[in-house]
Amino acid sequence: MKKIVYTAFSGAALTMSLFLNSCVSNSDSPGLEYAPDMYRTPSIETYVDYGEVRGRINENIKGRLTAMTPPRNTIPFYGTDSSEVQLMMPYFRKPNIAFRETHGLYGWDYSTADEYTLAVADKNPLLLNANNADVVIAKGKELFTAMCQHCHGEKGDGNGPMVASGAYAGVPNYVGLAATEGQMFYSIYYGKGNMGAHGSILNKKEIWTIVHYIRRLQDANYGKFDASGAAVVANVSDTTNAN
Amino acid sequence: MEISNIQSLKRIKSLAFAALIFSFAAFSNFASAQGEGLFKAKCATCHMTHKNSTGPKLSGVRAKWESGGAKEGSIYQWVNNWQTAAANDPYAAEVAKWSPTAMSAFPDLKKEDIDAILDWVDAQPDPSMATASNPSNPLSPNTPVEEESNSWIWIIMGVIFVVVIMAVGGVRRQLKIATSDDDIEAEKMTYGEELRALAWKYRLQVGLVSLVVIISIIVALFQSLYSINIMEGYQPSQPIAFPHSQHAGINGIDCKYCHNTVTKSKSASIPSVNVCMNCHKQIDGAGKPFEGQIKKIYAAAGWDKEGMAYTGKTKPIVWNKVHVLPEHVYFNHSQHVVVGGLDCKQCHGDMTQQSETVKVQPVEELNKIEGNIKLTRKTLTMGWCIECHGKKDVAIGNGKNAYYDEVHRRLKKDPKLYAQYLNNDGKVTVNELGGWECAKCHY
Repeated sequence: MKKIVYTAFSGAALTMSLFLNSCVSNSDSPGLEYAPDMYRTPSIETYVDYGEVRGRINENIKGRLTAMTPPRNTIPFYGTDSSEVQLMMPYFRKPNIAFRETHGLYGWDYSTADEYTLAVADKNPLLLNANNADVVIAKGKELFTAMCQHCHGEKGDGNGPMVASGAYAGVPNYVGLAATEGQMFYSIYYGKGNMGAHGSILNKKEIWTIVHYIRRLQDANYGKFDASGAAVVANVSDTTNAN
Repeated sequence: MEISNIQSLKRIKSLAFAALIFSFAAFSNFASAQGEGLFKAKCATCHMTHKNSTGPKLSGVRAKWESGGAKEGSIYQWVNNWQTAAANDPYAAEVAKWSPTAMSAFPDLKKEDIDAILDWVDAQPDPSMATASNPSNPLSPNTPVEEESNSWIWIIMGVIFVVVIMAVGGVRRQLKIATSDDDIEAEKMTYGEELRALAWKYRLQVGLVSLVVIISIIVALFQSLYSINIMEGYQPSQPIAFPHSQHAGINGIDCKYCHNTVTKSKSASIPSVNVCMNCHKQIDGAGKPFEGQIKKIYAAAGWDKEGMAYTGKTKPIVWNKVHVLPEHVYFNHSQHVVVGGLDCKQCHGDMTQQSETVKVQPVEELNKIEGNIKLTRKTLTMGWCIECHGKKDVAIGNGKNAYYDEVHRRLKKDPKLYAQYLNNDGKVTVNELGGWECAKCHY
């Protein structure tokens, strides 16, 4: 007799709890999980906190995981094409010691010389010729659109959507900018003034590609070649003759 | 109505400002326009009018130099070439210590030009005062409101109801015993016997109710089984309330600027704090409701806002991963974005409209977005992946990808198979090139 009562009671309680459970939504919970050991990998994955793996807690690393910049002097794998690999080697110019405080570049090797000024004669190792110019410039435009145009503007006039919305100020116009391509590279890699260092999010090949596109924005004829294969803009030959 | 001292002071100040601006507008309209143009072209990269930046703020700088004891005209010399000025004037030499970053030389700026610039700068109203008098800001911080869990209230109410029912039943029973003529029979009946008798008496109703209860238990069971590993709506709390609508929407920052490994790697990457600092070094949100959020970035990056310098003392920002696939599934962002040519919004929704940090969007929301492949299965389930692989066409033979060019070349050699692929839907879909093979994702 009592058994029936208990069954009825526990049945009602179960129903109630199930219904109530489905009413409560907790956006912090990923939901019910089946076989968690198939979900939580003990192998190393990005952005996973390994402070707790399968119930074992490691206080030393728990809650300390953060997005980080690539370790210094590491290079991306870029196939075995030697010219490309060469392009990926660590940048030979060093930041000035002042870059620690102005751009947060702690833990680097520093130079006492004014490397920005020295970079004036650096040449773009990514050579343009009549065959590859269009591809390189198009790639440069793609990278520029993703990485630069929100501040520098589609035309490089320093009036991107960030500036137009009033959130940010003081972006220079590329036209009339007194910086050579070597200095452009240095500025993108280590930052300049308000602009932060972009060396951690762009590799060297990408930066040099963007430099080509910036020069195209400065001069509409840059990187264009006539029928004989000669550069329309004279100083583009600087790059084709480099190395 | 009484006007308080502060208010009247503010009025006088704003009147003074208006008068100042008016006088400039009236007497030196041309010079002011010229000053603005020169300031924006030459100075704005490093200097702001009312805030220290790479260089110090320029508002009232002439008066500051004069009262600081600088030599006559040394400020103009400074602009032309700061090193000459520093050599001639001890005050300028002192100014040179403000920052380790050296100021560029502007030898082509004449004294009139510099005056025009500084006149324009001095005529600019202080924006921090404007925000102080107008605190209503359209951009409110999206502080996650702690949602009170309702379940406890329901449980407590349920318990109270059960107690009330039992108490009423008990009282009724006592009354029945008390008023009963044949008290012996009533005393014999236990609770259980009485319940059984009652149930038999109303057997139709009891049967119907238990049927409903059993069916609802089964339905609830299946519902909870189907919700296993459905992550739609998953939105873990994040250390910083980051509004995507502000960054990707209003300010037009490309997704790939912050999530910059999306074209290169399996993971789209959460930006490291130095990427935040590329803009937030200048945008400190002073006086805005979201200032506290930006302070968290500064703490993480080790940026000393007052001293305008990085201290080198950094702190992790522990973001919570939102789109999580189980270990036994391989998913690669670069394959889908670069080779597949998918837009981010196909899976993540329109982030330019989302004021929250990020959450797993339900498939209904994703289907509303123009240009998305319309799917029916729940987001982040296998059915969802499979369905898309059956619908998405592969751009083969366009010369952009050597692997798919080779596929195209071989398909052309086998026209029957090629025609079979195209017959269903006029395109070669992912599943036709092996996108439904188990080992494509599970290995």
